[in-house]
Amino acid sequence: MSTWNYVVTAHKPTNVTHSCVGNFTSPQELNLIVAKCTRIEIHLLTAQGLQPMLDVPIYGRIATLELFRPHGEAQDFLFIATERYKFCVLQWDSETSELITRAMGDVSDRIGRPTDNGQIGIIDPDCRLIGLHLYDGLFKVIPFDNKGQLKEAFNIRLEELQVLDIKFLYGCSKPTIVVLYQDNKDARHVKTYEVALKEKDFVEGPWSQNNLDNGADLLIPVPPPLCGVLIVGEETIVYCSANAFKAIPIRPSITKAYGRVDADGSRYLLGDHAGLLHLLVITHEKEKVTGLKIELLGETSIASTISYLDNAVVFIGSSYGDSQLIKLNLQPDAKGSYVEVLERFVNLGPIVDFCVVDLERQGQGQVVTCSGAYKDGSLRVVRNGIGINEQASVELQGIKGMWSLRSSTDDPFDTFLVVSFISETRILAMNLEDELEETEIEGFNSQVQTLFCHDAVYNQLVQVTSSSVRLVSSTSRELLNEWHAPSGYSVNVATANATQVLLATGGGHLVYLEIGDGTLTEVKHAQLEYEISCLDINPIGENSNYSHLAAVGMWTDISVRIFSLPELNLITKEQLGGEIIPRSVLLCSFEGTSYLLCALGDGHLLNFQVNMSNGELTDRKKVSLGTQPITLRTFSSKNTTHVFASSDRPTVIYSSNKKLLYSNVNLKEVGHMCPFNSAAFPDSLAIAKEGELTIGTIDDIQKLHIRTIPLGEHARRICHQEQSRTFAICCLKNQSSADESEMHFIRLLDDQTLECISTYPLDTFEYGCSILSCSFSDDTNVYYCVGTAYVLPEENEPTKGRILVFIVEDGKLQLIAEKETKGAVYSLNAFNGKLLAAINQKIQLYKWMLREDGSREIQTECGHHGHILALYVKTRGDFIVVGDLMKSISLLIYKHEEGAIEERARDYNANWMSAVEILDDDTYLGAENNFNLFTVRKNSEGATDEERGRLEVIGEYHLGEFVNRFRHGSLVMRLPDSEVGQIQTVIFGTVNGAIGVIASLPHDQYVFLEKLQSNLRKVIKGVGGLSHEQWRSFNNEKRTAEAKNFLDGDLIESFLDLSRGKMEEVSKGMGVSVEELSKRVEELTRLH
Amino acid sequence: MMGYMLGDLPSFDPHNFSQLRPSDPSNPSKVVPTTYRPTHSRTSPPPDQVITTEAKNILIRNFYQRAEEKLRPKRAATEHPTPEHGCKQPRASTTWS
Repeated sequence: MSTWNYVVTAHKPTNVTHSCVGNFTSPQELNLIVAKCTRIEIHLLTAQGLQPMLDVPIYGRIATLELFRPHGEAQDFLFIATERYKFCVLQWDSETSELITRAMGDVSDRIGRPTDNGQIGIIDPDCRLIGLHLYDGLFKVIPFDNKGQLKEAFNIRLEELQVLDIKFLYGCSKPTIVVLYQDNKDARHVKTYEVALKEKDFVEGPWSQNNLDNGADLLIPVPPPLCGVLIVGEETIVYCSANAFKAIPIRPSITKAYGRVDADGSRYLLGDHAGLLHLLVITHEKEKVTGLKIELLGETSIASTISYLDNAVVFIGSSYGDSQLIKLNLQPDAKGSYVEVLERFVNLGPIVDFCVVDLERQGQGQVVTCSGAYKDGSLRVVRNGIGINEQASVELQGIKGMWSLRSSTDDPFDTFLVVSFISETRILAMNLEDELEETEIEGFNSQVQTLFCHDAVYNQLVQVTSSSVRLVSSTSRELLNEWHAPSGYSVNVATANATQVLLATGGGHLVYLEIGDGTLTEVKHAQLEYEISCLDINPIGENSNYSHLAAVGMWTDISVRIFSLPELNLITKEQLGGEIIPRSVLLCSFEGTSYLLCALGDGHLLNFQVNMSNGELTDRKKVSLGTQPITLRTFSSKNTTHVFASSDRPTVIYSSNKKLLYSNVNLKEVGHMCPFNSAAFPDSLAIAKEGELTIGTIDDIQKLHIRTIPLGEHARRICHQEQSRTFAICCLKNQSSADESEMHFIRLLDDQTLECISTYPLDTFEYGCSILSCSFSDDTNVYYCVGTAYVLPEENEPTKGRILVFIVEDGKLQLIAEKETKGAVYSLNAFNGKLLAAINQKIQLYKWMLREDGSREIQTECGHHGHILALYVKTRGDFIVVGDLMKSISLLIYKHEEGAIEERARDYNANWMSAVEILDDDTYLGAENNFNLFTVRKNSEGATDEERGRLEVIGEYHLGEFVNRFRHGSLVMRLPDSEVGQIQTVIFGTVNGAIGVIASLPHDQYVFLEKLQSNLRKVIKGVGGLSHEQWRSFNNEKRTAEAKNFLDGDLIESFLDLSRGKMEEVSKGMGVSVEELSKRVEELTRLH
Repeated sequence: MMGYMLGDLPSFDPHNFSQLRPSDPSNPSKVVPTTYRPTHSRTSPPPDQVITTEAKNILIRNFYQRAEEKLRPKRAATEHPTPEHGCKQPRASTTWS
């Protein structure tokens, strides 16, 4: 059953829609605030660059973002309005580093037609009122009182119905707006109005200007002393005020964004649809405008927002490509550009299509997206988890332990790699050819298994075996000293650091030795009541060679204990609970916080914070990493220490923003790992896995890895073919010459290098609409099928298209067959060895036929009419699920005997679909254009035909994102024997560049998490006082309904970000321990 | 020409970006900010700052306003004999009709 679904973001939206600059976090600090659809990011300007401070989730899609300075305030406030007609005013409290809600409200009207050109929200430069244009013919005013408090809002009738832009004018004694609008003859004009607050009405303003550029779309208000407004068109830019009018022609372009450079408003940056950045200068004399000048500066990503920051550095926010930090140079570079890109910020949006592939064939999905638009189009390979890049590997069976050693204490690199087996120890070392070869350390006992090895002070090495501890010179490699286990006892477990050795023998004896120059001294001995299972004395205090604490894991009572060193006094004892013994303990420090990690034999990991002064253990948490015993080891990457947990599900444990994170390592099973930092393989790891010893480097430590393949053109469809190891994409290139504006292509890419190896150009006006890799019955070949449409300017809907069938031969696309269709081929599916196409309002099934001459052709078999436009089709068995342009989801069935397709059931709601997917035989998932998700179920048991013919809506949820594609699959390695491995997941990609996962949960887990979600709503409040319940409620033009059968995984997983106190508050409400809650939530985070 | 146009770009704090070196363009910025999870009481707005739109319809509001104006001039005429005030009202009322 896929009724109960959990929706979570794997990759947050990255499309930058708004940005602004001001003193938000302190009167002295300059901030850049960036809106990414449902999130805002607060950055601080520093000498080193932009420093991200906070990522703030907003319970709404941001329609307006403005900083303003109310009278008498030393800092700016932030005004945010959302598309669902909520707004809030936020203030930063620098003492607590919290966002305070100064005001919020609902600005919706019961009656009103939402504006076609988006919502407008503006603030009077003198802070007398906030103006909103949300519905045609209405201008909403939220007045400020003289103390800066907001008062009740009211509407004013606005005569202009087709408003393109509204801005406040500077320097007016009464608040004055300038309105750019289109009249019913499609001519564009500007008009000014004074807002009479007392009368709640408009008064004709000081000036107006008729008959502007037909492409005029943007107003830029000019601050004092010049005042007035710039009207930006496609062919002209005009400066207009009560007493001046200046115009300049520009090269035809659509200006998408502007940024003011100077406080006096004399210079502006303009970004156009092609990513060209211009500087617009208002020349003036004695505060009188004398003219306009415009110059091309260079190229950037296509900007959706431009913010001048400081010292010639500018932020370019983009919806179509990566956002950028650029510098404006006084001198042009070799290409004549004044723009230098300093930094770029990844943006996957818009994700138009994607596919899930397992390129490395490791059982882990990677998402390859068609991202970006126009010249900023790209493919992005998104992979979860940390990869190991293999440098060298040898076959070695039965490795029981590994340690790296240096040849002298101050050598920066490791020389030896000690590999222990059940009855011997082998030593590998790098030779002069930088190859690993076997060597000897004479002082070591190589006839037995090594329990532990470590570098020691004074150029010494320590080897612990079951019978003794050997101290060896690292230079002469000779034995210097040896401590023998008492007769009748053998050492079971041991650990050491540069100056200390701690070991345990049978019978619960704990022995502590200290290392001197050529000496091994038994300092202390203690007898514990049970056998010891694991030990650690990793120094995490001030002295990096000496630990004052020892961690000891115990059999029988299943506890972990902290002892003081050198006294071996018991400080803390923590019962672990359950019956599984601890197999590995590790003291470690992340971001200045000390932790004790304790791994159990069943793949669970406990972590505690350690108080270094009194050894106390607090903040116990538990996670499940795998099902097999775990071995813990620290390693360094880029000067930061992380922990590697070797097990059936290898994991890297690291810390980010003071929170422990667990990231999968993209390897199947790792028995042992040790860092091996040699001159030839710097910063590498030695990994023992599946009878193999591998040396490799590790990826950057982060959860998601994104590889960008810039295309310079817009990819719209992608598909992978396992057999030819290729991708095929449909893409379009915008020609620079105006007459033939676009050309569409099918391109074949190598799936490893992602380089284009073959191209098939489509006809003029022919668009690639769908692509599929499939095979047909009675034919062993695998083909790429492409569906196209001829998009003619004079047609409302295409009336002609083609289905093209290609085979990949010698790395080339060879056209095998083609078939003309009576419309656009919006979707292609492999169906019962045949080809199922969605063509305009029809579903059409084609057979793959062998002609007498041996060639192949596509032949029509049957079809089904009755859609407005059948845009999205998914199939399962004989069932066909269709997502219609405006008639929601319908279910069709193919009847073999009759060779016919019939409608079985449909959802009678009027949903405008953007994607569909089949969750199981009876449950289908849909996304629609009001940013909602919903599920419908087939009602096979219905009593009447009418009931059976109706798809019942069983789940509804407001995602707040426009979904372009669903695909079955997973971003993480799935272990069939784990609980999480049983959960079915669907991945989705959105216009804002978000990647999310929808997981179908068992009912009991859903009920549990639903309760957790409602408890979390009480503890985690919506920024700006916005309600989570309202945000997630299903909402379209007709109705709003509470979310059902979907849970917000982003809220649920934020449990892990809470302070201990707040976690306990939630735990009380749930009647479940914090440990259990965090374990269950942590498991969910491993779904993505 | 361009040098002149791009000269004297504003500087609020000369230190800002002074130590920033252009990064490898193939290597995007990876710093991840902390996600904000408000749990404090000041996330809720002050009770008097929960804003709604006045319920009165624009037409009704205008009727009342005009009715009030009809009464007002008797008093207003003595207090504010300025003709400016008088001439503004009719114009305002014509905007909706």
